[in-house]
Amino acid sequence: MTAPILAVRDVVRRFGGLRAVDGASLDVERGSITALIGPNGAGKSTLFNVVSGFLPAEKGSVQFEERRIDGTAAYRIAQRGLVRTFQVPRALTRLSVLDNVLLAAPNHSGERLSGVLLRPARTRAHERNARRRAQELLALVRLEEHTHDYAGVLSGGQRKLLDLARVLMAEPRLVLLDEPMAGVNPTLGRQLLEHVLQLRADEGMTFLFVEHDLDVVMEASDRVIVMNEGRVIATGTPAEVRTDSRVIDAYLGATWST
Amino acid sequence: MFVQLLANGLVTGSVIALAAAGVSIVYGILRLVNFAYGDYMTFGAFMGILFNVKLDLPIVPAAMLAMAATAVLSVALELVLWRPLRAKSAGFMSLFLVSVGLALVLRHVIYLVAGPQPRTYAVNPYKVYVIGSARLSGAQGIAIVVATIGIVLVGLLIARTGVGRMMRALADDLPLAAIAGVRTGRVILAAWIVSGLLAGLAGVLAGLVQTSFDPQLGFSLLLPIFAAVVMGGIGSVYGALAGGLALGLAMELSTWPELAGGVNPTYKPVVAFAALVCVLLVRPQGLFGRARVV
Amino acid sequence: MSTIASFGFWSFVGIVAGIYTLFALGVQVQFGFAGLLNFGQVAFMGIGAYTMAILVVKEDLNMWIAACCGVALAMLAGVLLGLPTLRLRADYFAITTIAFSEILRYVATNEDRLTGGSQGTINLAGIGRTSQYNSEWQSFLGKVERGLHIGGDAAMLILVWTVALLAVTAIWLMMKTPWGRVLKSIREDEEAVASLGKNVFSYKLQALVVGAALGAIAGLFYAWQFSFFSPDDFAPLLTFFAWMIVILGGLGRAWTVPVGAIVFGVIFAGTRFFDFAPFSLLDSTERAYVRLIVIGVVIIGLMLFRPQGIFGNRKEMVLE
Repeated sequence: MTAPILAVRDVVRRFGGLRAVDGASLDVERGSITALIGPNGAGKSTLFNVVSGFLPAEKGSVQFEERRIDGTAAYRIAQRGLVRTFQVPRALTRLSVLDNVLLAAPNHSGERLSGVLLRPARTRAHERNARRRAQELLALVRLEEHTHDYAGVLSGGQRKLLDLARVLMAEPRLVLLDEPMAGVNPTLGRQLLEHVLQLRADEGMTFLFVEHDLDVVMEASDRVIVMNEGRVIATGTPAEVRTDSRVIDAYLGATWST
Repeated sequence: MFVQLLANGLVTGSVIALAAAGVSIVYGILRLVNFAYGDYMTFGAFMGILFNVKLDLPIVPAAMLAMAATAVLSVALELVLWRPLRAKSAGFMSLFLVSVGLALVLRHVIYLVAGPQPRTYAVNPYKVYVIGSARLSGAQGIAIVVATIGIVLVGLLIARTGVGRMMRALADDLPLAAIAGVRTGRVILAAWIVSGLLAGLAGVLAGLVQTSFDPQLGFSLLLPIFAAVVMGGIGSVYGALAGGLALGLAMELSTWPELAGGVNPTYKPVVAFAALVCVLLVRPQGLFGRARVV
Repeated sequence: MSTIASFGFWSFVGIVAGIYTLFALGVQVQFGFAGLLNFGQVAFMGIGAYTMAILVVKEDLNMWIAACCGVALAMLAGVLLGLPTLRLRADYFAITTIAFSEILRYVATNEDRLTGGSQGTINLAGIGRTSQYNSEWQSFLGKVERGLHIGGDAAMLILVWTVALLAVTAIWLMMKTPWGRVLKSIREDEEAVASLGKNVFSYKLQALVVGAALGAIAGLFYAWQFSFFSPDDFAPLLTFFAWMIVILGGLGRAWTVPVGAIVFGVIFAGTRFFDFAPFSLLDSTERAYVRLIVIGVVIIGLMLFRPQGIFGNRKEMVLE
């Protein structure tokens, strides 16, 4: 049994008096498609922020590919192969759609001044390859007609797709998707899901995604992790989790307590 | 010597504290870094000269009129400049740059109208207050008493009055306060009035303390004032008051010869910056500021 | 005094515009491209000028080598400034940069033996002896004049603008590279850029240092043009002029800087020569005040009516 690609242990993160994440522990298996669900305010986005290095954990540890990453800078975590999207998509509106995706190209010698000045030929080659890959990814998410437009003209749903194309461009090993389907039309969503499955099959990419649409969760994920009030309350296959009484209580409780 | 420096430090510090409070009140609500604030102070100082020297009024009523005049200037600028800019959704950078332009305009209009020659208030130059081993000139004595009263009043205003509470609400969350029914326009005007009064007062006091001054008065104090605001934690009026006093004391006490010869007095502003940098390195949000939530 | 119609006047305006092009280009790289609120740019100008002058007068160094040292020292200063401060939030960073430039100005004013103190570079060789750092430059200028068959003013104008336009072109090319792409994105959304694996801090530091180098080169030309300078020549006011030029031209484009600098140069120098009322009623000090009032009004007017500058377009407007 291989080690999990992501191991979170007893992470605590507070905001003022509120314990947003209150001792959460979870494992993500390599090559799996895992869903992270839970009522609003359960701490899912905060946990994403901690895992990806955008917020420090006050207690606990995070291990990615068996190396500790809590305390590591966010950009370095991304370089190691753990990338994430944001709940509100962060398109760079004053760059073109193509440039947005090109930005994510990993190990591009043109991004260092030394590379630009001393190795122009290699830089040009990198850029050509990156351009090709970027255009393939844009075709994949059906944004190719906006390739040269400012990203600012894209709608919310389109920006989510751009976010997705961008993280895939970074050639990650673990992708954290924060509500990837929100605002995306169902047909396209389906196609993206198929592509995600393909990536998992071909390249062994692992996906952890936060999702509210439970149908998608049931259909697409191998495993489901349920959070409530800052803790993980259940993990298992979709079928197991669906009938788990603690999960039902958490959702019902959340619905009825307003 | 030490006590003398302590007294000087309290005098300088309280003037900076008042001005810093004025900057902070506006920043807290409008997120506007008013780079022209030093020149609001200079305006107040020169208005004081107008009333005290040209019109022969005693210093206290002259100062009060100067404060009122500065408050009027402050409100006028809000109506003519800041409000229209906010209506155009001008962002932080735009507003800051406008305040830079405004500073240039105000300062040089004062130069044009009043001329560059140094001015002095008509106070008795021979009056000396002796407290322990410290000697305070008449001007310094007035300054420290008035400034202390001013600081206490500001603190009470923010903490106890309805207006103060509303200002804190707006500083916390302006859109929310608007939805909750607070008359934001009025509170903003009140903030500018208080800020203007404080600028006028700080300007006159600074003029008294420096004995003679020219139109560079406010601008030359602006950086220690901003340092006090930042050190105290931007947006916190108490922080600004504390920061001002702390910086004033640091600046004066640093020249104490017992401290390895003491710092060369011309480097006092450098001490202020050094103090600011030290505080920020240890506590990036300032003494009373809130830590940044990502 | 030159009249408004004389070549001497316009070449002076042109030289000042050229120097400001280099100076403001540094601000454009730091803010227009990378989003850094550097309000201490004038410090780098001073470091470039003073280092060169001090090394020439006190150490008898070849002026060209001293000039390179000036640029190198400014870049080092940029690193030393940026390392502790770039992680601060934007408004605090801005204040520390102003503090930085003012502290340097204080040091220059007070450390007489090093910098000649408040009297400026005339004092560099010690009290009572006037000093010149400019002789090598003057002989170089002479060669240019003889080679091109032009006068001193024209030669200086050509030299300044050659370097300025080279710098503008170099920056323009740099921004078209993938490196430039990362820089431009940082201005907009640092976290998104970090989430894609880019070391944002390192890029910001590089922008600061490139801007510092440009500021230093501007300082060198300032020193060569005016033959002597003092710490008060490097007041925060100059940094604000640079900001105004960058905003006037439009943020985020290299070639708008020279245009903004020329417009600024005309406003700044042109108001010297308004011979009609009410300006004719003012003496020269008063006209200096009016000049600065006009500049202040232009800044305010720009922000009110055309914040994107002459060449910016609303879609790209950055002043958030």
